[in-house]
Amino acid sequence: MDYILDGIKKAFELIASFDSEIYGIVGLSLFVSLLAVFISLLIGIPLGMGLGTRNFRGKGIILRIIYTFMSMPPVIAGLFLFLILMRRGPLGRYQLNYTVTAMIIVQICLVTPIIIGLTYNLVRDKAPEILRLGVTLGGSRWSNFLLLLHDLRRGLAAAVVSGFGRAISEVGAVMIVGGNITGKTRVMTTYIAELKSMGDYSRAIAVGIILLLISFIVNTFLYQVQQRGETE
Amino acid sequence: MKLRFENLTKIYGERTVLNIADAETPSGIITGVVGPNGAGKSTLLNIACGLDEPTAGRVLYETANGVFTDRPPMKDMTLLSQKPYLIRTTVEKNIAYPMKLRRFPRETRTGRTEKLMEAIGLTPLAKQKSWKLSGGEAQKTALARAISFRPRVLFLDEPTSGIDNRSTAEIESMLRAECRKNGTTIFIVTHDIAQVRRICDHVIFIAEGRIVEQGKAAQLLDTPREELTRRFVGGELLY
Repeated sequence: MDYILDGIKKAFELIASFDSEIYGIVGLSLFVSLLAVFISLLIGIPLGMGLGTRNFRGKGIILRIIYTFMSMPPVIAGLFLFLILMRRGPLGRYQLNYTVTAMIIVQICLVTPIIIGLTYNLVRDKAPEILRLGVTLGGSRWSNFLLLLHDLRRGLAAAVVSGFGRAISEVGAVMIVGGNITGKTRVMTTYIAELKSMGDYSRAIAVGIILLLISFIVNTFLYQVQQRGETE
Repeated sequence: MKLRFENLTKIYGERTVLNIADAETPSGIITGVVGPNGAGKSTLLNIACGLDEPTAGRVLYETANGVFTDRPPMKDMTLLSQKPYLIRTTVEKNIAYPMKLRRFPRETRTGRTEKLMEAIGLTPLAKQKSWKLSGGEAQKTALARAISFRPRVLFLDEPTSGIDNRSTAEIESMLRAECRKNGTTIFIVTHDIAQVRRICDHVIFIAEGRIVEQGKAAQLLDTPREELTRRFVGGELLY
């Protein structure tokens, strides 16, 4: 039991001590996850909106693939990307394995289907009446798209929260393609896994608490954005 | 703006819901579109306002220089439905939205929005969020929004259905004023014959997808030519 209390105590000591290793790992974790979520938003929201507002041949199979990818085990995504990026793989010449770029790519692969799926469900239910209004008021395609974004902003913020949750908590995929290299590709989750295997439980708990705190802060910010949509 | 229907047909599956050979509607007045449930009134309205496509035939719209075109002038007309969608923002921003789309100057937007809110009793609710409005307030907001950019044609699909009498009176008053001041051509689908008597100048009676009779409101309601029209305006339940 002591090691749990030690861990909690150590977490606050680490935060207060401005430990450069910890802050480096925290910074990299945030950079990788936030950039991956941002890029996933740019890809996922237009695709989700397109799927939600249009009917075409093959839509059913595309949706089933997206739903499958939404719950894809991260280690499988990591393994596939690793094989594609390995020296003998189709993209081997770029030598991306064990780099931050590979970690961002694998997180994009994990987060984008979540954003597409959640956006699709939101748009499918709400878009018809919003677009009907846009058309009857003489709006262009672009202004109707902006109207959709405006009126669905709370739901879209929830999709961002889900995507960020997936990204920041992910360990298997970034471990495979990033390699958990000290000072280069080590993020909080892979660091916790390593600390646990080394038996350094209190430090592992400390990093875990920092991870939870960061997740709480980011989600609080996104929650505020969501609430502002309702009260402004 | 006059509308001309040419061999207008709408078929869903094997069911023909609209079949209008040729008809022209008058301009600058309020036309009531009446008929029993399932007569094709809303289908006609949706096709006329460019939301739906006919299976065959076409709708022609009179342009400003008197020529007819089959391209729906989407910037010059709008539809107000029974349960309108309000943008998730304030009442005043909802009303100003179509003017913003048309890049009206800010002063014009503000001025017209204030006048419309005053005319229809929405001024105290200017900053109210759309999802906090009652049915009548929401419908009045939607009507003010629909006429804010001064459309040439306004389509209304049962706009006062399920709304309190005071709001209904305010909506009807605003429709009459809009038609009189700006020459807006207004089509109103309604089940309420008393409402037709109150505000319509012209009436189109539709049954089973075809126009049975149309004419001046007083003539059609008091001395209908067709037996079916007589039964309908007499209060008989047609189905």
